[in-house]
Amino acid sequence: MEFDTQVKLAVYRHFAETGRGPAPNEVAKRAGSDVGRVLEAYGRLRAQRLLVLEADGSSIRMASPFSGVPTQHVVEAAGTRYFANCAWDALGVPAALHTPGTVHSRCEQTGEPLHLRVGLEGPEPSDWLFHCLVPAAKWWDNIVFT
Amino acid sequence: MLFFRSEERIREWCAAHGSPMRPIVRMDQLWALAATWYSTRLEESSRRPQPGEMREIFASLGLEGDFWDPRSDSFG
Repeated sequence: MEFDTQVKLAVYRHFAETGRGPAPNEVAKRAGSDVGRVLEAYGRLRAQRLLVLEADGSSIRMASPFSGVPTQHVVEAAGTRYFANCAWDALGVPAALHTPGTVHSRCEQTGEPLHLRVGLEGPEPSDWLFHCLVPAAKWWDNIVFT
Repeated sequence: MLFFRSEERIREWCAAHGSPMRPIVRMDQLWALAATWYSTRLEESSRRPQPGEMREIFASLGLEGDFWDPRSDSFG
């Protein structure tokens, strides 16, 4: 397996197992490497849009669907609590884990809470809606805003 | 990318923020997008859909037009 793939999987699997982002030394340990090489791989994975890093270049802001920072989109699955980057990613967490879960979020206009159960085949019937302000061609101009 | 309780709440939010109303996506459509994007994310062979694939995925869900075109230059 290529080293960048090892690093990518180490990051994503850490999120999946713990609900939080890994420190570079944790990724290095999983990948059987050192922090310097891991940070070099982070840069390449960022260029492939597989990671979004904080300004320090070593903290992971986004490994979609997982968020490295707290957000309003919380997913509970198999006893672990995850933060998702957006509404799309909130459904993406149970999809990535292949595990049923519950999405906790809110109506952006009123603050009304959303508690949506998601099974292996998708969410329970719901008339809630999803709205994205940014056109697809512009999503990566500022992915954190998107 | 946000959740809303109804189309009326989206309209209110867009008006309050001076933002254009964009296409509305149902939960079943959103699940299809989430599953397509992320169901292999923890696997070695996982990769992000490329622009042409994205267009096909969106179109298969009835999400068409410039807004969903990852190569559109209609938005500056």
